[in-house]
Amino acid sequence: MSRCFIMFRCFIISAFSVLTLTGISGCTAPERISISGSTTVLPAVSRAAEQYTADTGQLITVNAGGSGSGFNQLAEGQTDIGMMSRDMTASELKQFSNLTFTPVTIGRDAVVPVVSSEIFAAGVTTLSLADIASIYRGKVDNWSAFGGPDQAIFVIDKESSSGTRQTFMDIVMGNAKADAPGADLVIGSNNEEQTAMTQSDAAIGMLSIAWLNEDVKGLSISLGSDELIAPTLENVQNGRFPIVRDLNIVIRGDISLQAQNFVDYLLSPDGQTFVEKSGYIKIKK
Amino acid sequence: MSQLDRPSFLGKIAKPRVQRDGIHSIAFSSTLASCAIICLIIGTLFVQSGPALAQAGGSLLSTSWNPAEGVYGIIPMVFGSIFVMLIAVSIALPLGLLAAIAISRIKHKTLKRVTKSALEILAGIPSIVYGLIGVAYVSLWVAGLFDLQSGRIILTAGLILAVMILPTFLSLAEDAISSVPKAYYENASALGLYPYEMQLSVILPAAAPGIMSAALLALGRALGETMAVMLVIGSLDRLPSPLFNPLSSGQTITSKLGREIGESAFGSTHFSALILMSFILVMITIGLTITSRLLFKSAKTL
Repeated sequence: MSRCFIMFRCFIISAFSVLTLTGISGCTAPERISISGSTTVLPAVSRAAEQYTADTGQLITVNAGGSGSGFNQLAEGQTDIGMMSRDMTASELKQFSNLTFTPVTIGRDAVVPVVSSEIFAAGVTTLSLADIASIYRGKVDNWSAFGGPDQAIFVIDKESSSGTRQTFMDIVMGNAKADAPGADLVIGSNNEEQTAMTQSDAAIGMLSIAWLNEDVKGLSISLGSDELIAPTLENVQNGRFPIVRDLNIVIRGDISLQAQNFVDYLLSPDGQTFVEKSGYIKIKK
Repeated sequence: MSQLDRPSFLGKIAKPRVQRDGIHSIAFSSTLASCAIICLIIGTLFVQSGPALAQAGGSLLSTSWNPAEGVYGIIPMVFGSIFVMLIAVSIALPLGLLAAIAISRIKHKTLKRVTKSALEILAGIPSIVYGLIGVAYVSLWVAGLFDLQSGRIILTAGLILAVMILPTFLSLAEDAISSVPKAYYENASALGLYPYEMQLSVILPAAAPGIMSAALLALGRALGETMAVMLVIGSLDRLPSPLFNPLSSGQTITSKLGREIGESAFGSTHFSALILMSFILVMITIGLTITSRLLFKSAKTL
């Protein structure tokens, strides 16, 4: 029984030491800037953050999570800066009406309808917005309807809070929060979407322009009268590509000085190079 | 006999009353604390799911989920959780039980110890590792096997879960079988029973309570597993069609919570609907525990 008692004491001592240790480290940790949110905005911000830390020694944590969670964490005070690839919604603002939020645009992006490389190679390189809508509504379910192979369309949708999805659905279906009864798979981030697209040979999905590659091909969009708009950076820059959006970071009225300095850096010519390096369009001054 | 022995036995090792009472009260208060925590969790879930019941009302029983339109149908998630659990359990329990019997029959001491500890290591692998293996390999194999566009389906989630709960169940079931007194084996042999008769009608019934609680633990883990399931199930908030089609994507309560709890603001109907689902999950687990206890009790009195 005495051994049991000693073990008990050891346990209590170690429990206390853990408590005090965490307490101390919590007090003396350097003021770290924490950022979270949209996986679309993330590459640009995290590259800029890396350089900024190397230049100034200021520690920055950048986390993914999606636009919705980026806003919530900022609003609840868990982060200093939220990344959002869509506008804040009225209900989000209403939920935290006692705080002020300012969106800051750091770049521009296009959401591109994408298909598996096999489908692209088989000849489906262009769809109209109405075609895409009919696929997501579940009205058309075979690639042969668009001159492709006789194969079922595998429709990949994204989580409803995703900024990519809301921009896409807003233009294609006319409602940012539209249901997609045709969906076969729902995934979360651009990374996941890219993987799922690569693994499939008959899929359609939506991706930010920076994520296109050999296995995931961006479709041109036909706008009636033989006008085809390819998903190129030029077409995004000159405003012809229809599905575009601003990449924003959101800050609160009570932002810390360090965080404000980093926001200024993102908007500076130095910071903007990372927006371009990530495959997006830099903002015009 | 213990009536007589006990006082003298206690008398030999009994420590001064103060020390004994001290330990007694520490043990008692930690028991109280665990009970209080359980009550607190269930109470919080119950209170927090109130707004969803009040505001979403009938839409909770629909089969579509769209927070933007105030539609919070939880049926697909509840169905998904139960479906995935049933797949996992119907693979893991028969396999685990047979393996447990086999391991309990191993005579070689070292071999038995190595087998057992290997299983216990398997049980300790973090779930995210299973999830990663599921996404990287199993989902591709399943997709190839059934010629599907994506292997992120209910069946894959069930398979991964089966592998995850197998070692826990196997290890505990083997403990239960091994702790059946030797005399049972000897008597069964003396009666001239074949080995399979011995296992079926003597050993398994004797080990039933232990096997039952092992199965319950496995069920609980299957229902509560989040990470691995979330990565491979496909996150489609819809009932499969046809209903029991394991080859379609789906959603479980836990994967839904994992995906969406960060997106919902604390206190909103959306948040409350998610909490309601976790409340239901807890209730299912508690219900399972109680029914299996009752079943076991009635089986014993027969």
